[in-house]
Amino acid sequence: MVRTFYNEMYQANGECRPHYQAFARWLAETPKELLAQRRREADLLFHRAGITFTLYGDEQGTERLIPFDTIPRSIPASEWRMVERGCIQRVQALNMFLADLYHEQRIIKAGIIPAEQVLANEGYQIAMQGLNLHRDLYAHIAGVDLVRDGDGSYYVLEDNLRTPSGVSYMLEDRKMMMRLFPELFAAQRIAPINHYPNLLLETLKTSSPLDNPNVVVLTPGRFNSAYFEHAFLSREMGVELVEGADLFVRDDKVYMRTTAGAKQVDVIYRRLDDDFLDPLAFNPDSMLGVPGLLSAYRSGHVVLANAIGTGVADDKSTYPYVTEMIRFYLDEEPVLKNVPTWQCSKPADLSHVLANLGELVVKETQGSGGYGMLVGPAASKAEIEDFRARLIAKPEAYIAQPTLCLSTCPTFVETGIAPRHIDLRPFVLSGREVRLVPGGLTRVALREGSLVVNSSQGGGTKDTWVVED
Amino acid sequence: MRLSISHDTTYHYENQVRASIQYLRLTPHDSERQRVLNWQLKLPRPVRAQLDPYGNILHVLTIDEPHESIVIGASGQVEIDEQHEAEHENQSALPFLRFTRLTTADAALREFAQQHCKKRRDRSALIDLMHGLHSHISYLTGSTAVETSAAEAFAGQQGVCQDHAHAFLACARSLGIPARYVSGYLLTDSSDHLASHAWAEAWLEGAWYSFDVTNCLAKPERHLKLAIGRDYLDACPVRGMRRGGGTEQMHALVEVSPLLQVQHQ
Repeated sequence: MVRTFYNEMYQANGECRPHYQAFARWLAETPKELLAQRRREADLLFHRAGITFTLYGDEQGTERLIPFDTIPRSIPASEWRMVERGCIQRVQALNMFLADLYHEQRIIKAGIIPAEQVLANEGYQIAMQGLNLHRDLYAHIAGVDLVRDGDGSYYVLEDNLRTPSGVSYMLEDRKMMMRLFPELFAAQRIAPINHYPNLLLETLKTSSPLDNPNVVVLTPGRFNSAYFEHAFLSREMGVELVEGADLFVRDDKVYMRTTAGAKQVDVIYRRLDDDFLDPLAFNPDSMLGVPGLLSAYRSGHVVLANAIGTGVADDKSTYPYVTEMIRFYLDEEPVLKNVPTWQCSKPADLSHVLANLGELVVKETQGSGGYGMLVGPAASKAEIEDFRARLIAKPEAYIAQPTLCLSTCPTFVETGIAPRHIDLRPFVLSGREVRLVPGGLTRVALREGSLVVNSSQGGGTKDTWVVED
Repeated sequence: MRLSISHDTTYHYENQVRASIQYLRLTPHDSERQRVLNWQLKLPRPVRAQLDPYGNILHVLTIDEPHESIVIGASGQVEIDEQHEAEHENQSALPFLRFTRLTTADAALREFAQQHCKKRRDRSALIDLMHGLHSHISYLTGSTAVETSAAEAFAGQQGVCQDHAHAFLACARSLGIPARYVSGYLLTDSSDHLASHAWAEAWLEGAWYSFDVTNCLAKPERHLKLAIGRDYLDACPVRGMRRGGGTEQMHALVEVSPLLQVQHQ
């Protein structure tokens, strides 16, 4: 099978795409030694800034630097407007789906999604049944993972509606590029993104019916892989960073312990999974949550962003229904495409998947971070057989998709500059309106040929530009 | 039948507790099978009642002054309709298909359920399953702890009513039948079974049916329902946390008795 990849910078005939021309000229004119020196500077600065990431599967819990590549990923503004429209549409539909699911369940009654698919789903939370949320918003902060196929068309790979991370890298990558190469930003119009923390704070404040709510960021603590981001965002927004032990519940209200006494908390931007939020209602072993939080939440005295129970909408087994959701709730055609998906819970789909394991990507419906995943074309015989056994044992836990020809972007590697596969995660904020800053986080798979871009799997990041074309 | 219940729980702590919080599910509500004639909850401080995710009446007791003991008293009278077997419900039963940590069916439980029910998915199949589990897991006080899972109790072949209920839930769910945990009170003649009790309900033909594995009863006669949930953790009468206090001593005194009827009707 011949696989052609869409190269973000060059056309098939080798010509540079218009929106990359200014950068390509600059790259050709800048001495190689200077570029190398700048890259070393970037490494040093990131170490100093403390942008690190705890790698899962590393027993020492070593903090690693996420590799940063100095060649930006660039998107023409006209193309971005389409992506933006598509992301807004998608997140609107997903929020409407969640509100419907926890109330009238019109979409089930209409026969668009099977009841068992969602109601018996791990992510469905009985605690949310019938609970009314301000503005009917569940996923205040969403991350939509996008990739481009061989012809350059955008596909949504997955939605992240629980606690999507990575926005701090988006912001720090931009800061770094502006510091290292200010001349690039003078030469062309690159859309700014530094207002993200303001938009986030606004979004969090408007999630509460109160005029000036007290907002905090709740982190699982410094051993969490995204702790850097939690600290970063709370600092940028100018709000308190708290751990579960800093909060307590009294008479259905949540308070923060401060040196000046207890202070009521109105909005919790929580970066803690549902199961750990309240040890009296969920996982009893959770030392990270706040006992009593669920009762306070259900009484309406505190807002959680994101809401509890969003996982049912971003579950990979729900993903195949999102395009239908858009038609059902918005009466619009989806702007962004879904990747065709086989649901292994269906016997016909399962037998197709088992017969074509070598060409497909198989994912766990509940997995995240690129673990529990088989990339057929890149897998060994043993890995394929291992997955075959897992699929047969628990088919409902998996979905499969064709292996997409993820687009590539020129990237600095040991041998010089070479194409590497990338994806894009724009961050979608839902409050009074649904908004994004232009671009998002571009992740790059640094290993040659690899399609796994997750930072937990050794992926790197790039600055993402939206440029006027 | 009218039942009179008095349930006092006392916690004594070795040291002073700085702060504590408890989720209390100690108040029954009216249903097709039971009518609450009167009910009182005696708590160290007044607490507003709310409904928990499963529709149970929940009191959240927070105490943030130092204390060495907590006394919780629940008492009241409830009329049970002995003829009424099933309970109907508007909410979908499907969320009760999902396994929880305490009710995960391992290979042994799945096989056991399969052997007893084969292709049958009706009440008589689940009654056979109930009898099977009753013989397989002997009732032995103190043989398991609150965190014991269905699979562990099944493997150890010993347990209490909570383990019986969990094993039943695991089996029923493995067969694709929604099932839920019930905590409540039981009027019992013998003294070896606690009056605080737990059993299971399964969703069959649009209604919830009771299965009390411990007593091999598929018809709830002397059962007073307090709360339901996916497992013990969702429905248990008291679930709490505290800061400080050292070791804890808990005394529970439950009395369930038939109420002498002053004849009317």
